[in-house]
Amino acid sequence: MEIVESIETPSREIVTPGMVISTDPELIPGRGAVREKNNEIISLFVGLKEIRGKYINVVPLNGLYNPQLGDKIIGRVIAKTPVKFLLNINSKYLGILKPLDAFKRNTRNRGYGKSVGSYRVKDDDLMQKLKMGDLLICKVLSGDRLNEPELTSLGQDLGQIKDGIIIHVPPPKIPRIIGKKGSMITLLKNLLHCKIFVAQNGRILIQGGKNFKNERLLIDAIHKIEEEAHTSGLTDRIKNYIIKEKKKRGIE
Amino acid sequence: MPVLVPEPHDPICFRKDGKRLDGREVDEPRPFSCEVGVIKNAQGSAVVRHGGNLIYVAVYGPREVHPRHLAKPDRGILRVYYRMSTFSVHDRKSPAPNRRDNEISKVIREAIEPVLFLEAYPDSQIEVFIQIMAADGGTRCASTTAASLALADAGIPMRSMIVGIAAGKAQDKVILDLGDKEDKVGQADVPAVVVMKDKTISLLQFDGEMSIEEMKLGFKYILKGAEVIYQKQLEALKGKYEAIQMQAKKESEEYQKTLPKLPQEKPLPPSDTVVSKKTEEIKVNKDEKVQKPKKEPKKETKKGPKKPTKKDVKKETKKETKKKTEEKAQKANETIQNAPKKDSEKGGKTK
Repeated sequence: MEIVESIETPSREIVTPGMVISTDPELIPGRGAVREKNNEIISLFVGLKEIRGKYINVVPLNGLYNPQLGDKIIGRVIAKTPVKFLLNINSKYLGILKPLDAFKRNTRNRGYGKSVGSYRVKDDDLMQKLKMGDLLICKVLSGDRLNEPELTSLGQDLGQIKDGIIIHVPPPKIPRIIGKKGSMITLLKNLLHCKIFVAQNGRILIQGGKNFKNERLLIDAIHKIEEEAHTSGLTDRIKNYIIKEKKKRGIE
Repeated sequence: MPVLVPEPHDPICFRKDGKRLDGREVDEPRPFSCEVGVIKNAQGSAVVRHGGNLIYVAVYGPREVHPRHLAKPDRGILRVYYRMSTFSVHDRKSPAPNRRDNEISKVIREAIEPVLFLEAYPDSQIEVFIQIMAADGGTRCASTTAASLALADAGIPMRSMIVGIAAGKAQDKVILDLGDKEDKVGQADVPAVVVMKDKTISLLQFDGEMSIEEMKLGFKYILKGAEVIYQKQLEALKGKYEAIQMQAKKESEEYQKTLPKLPQEKPLPPSDTVVSKKTEEIKVNKDEKVQKPKKEPKKETKKGPKKPTKKDVKKETKKETKKKTEEKAQKANETIQNAPKKDSEKGGKTK
């Protein structure tokens, strides 16, 4: 059992582009690795080497966000056309938000107590509802490498952001901020009593209400996680850090 | 106004003891140092000090192409901007890009392209901005080295790291990594870029006169010098993260010391007994489960008599109407039965 665990967990060995990470013919190059001549598997990124089953991967330490189906992301409206909003989603493409995916359709009762069904508001009216610079939590409806991703802001947790702070971390480090089965994020929520929304495109929304000191400490803690994302035993250290800092800053 | 006349360069490139003017051997590169992640706004960045050169590189992308017509539907494009600062050379350099800048941008782009997977980024571009802060000969080689570092720092997939270094000839001797004076006075200059994975050449320029044997010796020097610089590159890329790893390890060790010590577990008896004990425990647990008292049935809460709803009223009225109709029908039947029968119905014979 112990042997299996040591293979499953990443080795924490830092590799660089072009470095030969394995010459085993049975291993299959997965993410961030390719096979070259003489069964040599080379790394493509600066990252951590990881062997999972028969796959060998390199987890990159920096990089861009690639939109994938069903991701929840935070976007900013940067342009409008007569029929759609264009959102900056921290990717190489702009996200497309069509007005009917952004607002609920109105249902109207037309006399005699009978509902007539959905009533479509004109697109012109809906286009006035969002301004440049508005921030939205969206979900990716379609994502591939060739086309601009379509978004929706209708659904649970989605919609316009009214208050809070947004901070940015490199997208490959987002899994560390969430932790194994959400361990890190529950730790942060329990210790600091703030609302946190972690978007897959590297943007994090923090809503602390009137706990300004907690909010400040949470931002510092997230930056610490970002800095030490490639180390082991992170959750324990963050817990220790927050407890220490709470005493220093006089937070109850 | 004094007229500035450039002094003719002294053609001597070697000291009396056979070493070069800065004390180097013929096959020794200049001192090299580098660092990554120096520009916060950029996606990836690097600074390189190679001899007297000081070069900053910033990388952005992959991102949208402007103007759009330059985008290619089947692959991404790489754009390199090589610019010299006005203060980087002795005479003021005009800030406008000139022929030399454009040419060097092009050769650097062609040197980097083979190690990138541009086909993975259709319709987009990767931009590399190179700014020369101080020039001291061999800037195109040092720029390539720095660009490679910045691209790796930005997390753009690469086949290999690349290193630029020049060989040349001065005073009939083949030398490695030419400085500014050697570049100007020397007889030949061979800047090259080496792909470090398989030691292939992705850029080779040649200016001057050299025999084939001198050229071969020059390549030997180039590969040797590139290896030295490559090790420094790896140190810079890994060192940024390894330093944090070491510190984190120390912190977590300190944290483990502060935790209260758990009571030491007693050494377990041989495995057979453990198994038997476990099975016993399981049995006991099973028995306990069996013996558990059954849950008492929920007590029925007393509720007041329900108020008759509309449906109930309707049902009752329906029932009443049914009853009434049945009664009527019965009465009708009775009246029919009691009524005096006709002659024909009596079954008597007709007269």
